Amino acid sequence: MNVTFSEKSAWGSLLALALVAYWYFPRAFAVASSGDEPVKLVVLSIICTVVLILVEVVYHVIIASNGRSSSDERDALFDLKASRNAGFVLGFGLFSLVGHIILSSIPESVPRLGTLSIAVWILLAVTVSEIAKLGFQIYYYRAGC
Amino acid sequence: MVRTSVRNNIRALRFNHDEMTQQELADKVGVTRQTIAAIEKQKYSPSLEAAFKIAAVFGEPLDAVFSYEPASR
Repeated sequence: MNVTFSEKSAWGSLLALALVAYWYFPRAFAVASSGDEPVKLVVLSIICTVVLILVEVVYHVIIASNGRSSSDERDALFDLKASRNAGFVLGFGLFSLVGHIILSSIPESVPRLGTLSIAVWILLAVTVSEIAKLGFQIYYYRAGC
Repeated sequence: MVRTSVRNNIRALRFNHDEMTQQELADKVGVTRQTIAAIEKQKYSPSLEAAFKIAAVFGEPLDAVFSYEPASR
């Protein structure tokens, strides 16, 4: 199969992160908007982190046992280019949040966000940027640029 | 498919060196087989260090393996 260990790694991480995010964020936003059980948000976050780590470890052990697990200059280049693009995505997400917070200080403009909601939005921006990074990595591998 | 401006004749050189496989060349250069395949297809321009290593494997000067042909405008 014409796929390097790094590309397989990116595919696995992308799927795992997307699935965990799909499960986590609707629940996290629901808890954050109710605002009465912050401990529940911590428990949700711990569960997701543990699941993600376990899935990643098992997946990487499997793909490493199936062949070579080395990386080279091409992997490093694609990782750097994807990280740069992910930085733009993260910046866009965080600046949008800052904009919303500033606007919400104006009466009758946009609804105010609670502290927990802000935390979840920041986490969402970080997660989306990580998903974008993995997606860009896979794109570069497929396009070969 | 985007092609780089760096041309090469690695495939011919491999053939002339006892039909060396991409994996054998990759092991000698210290990159993955997929990187050698990408260089051969001109989908990826190797670093200067990797280019020198490839040329050294074949015992050829750098310009006998790689050439630069800018895209015509």
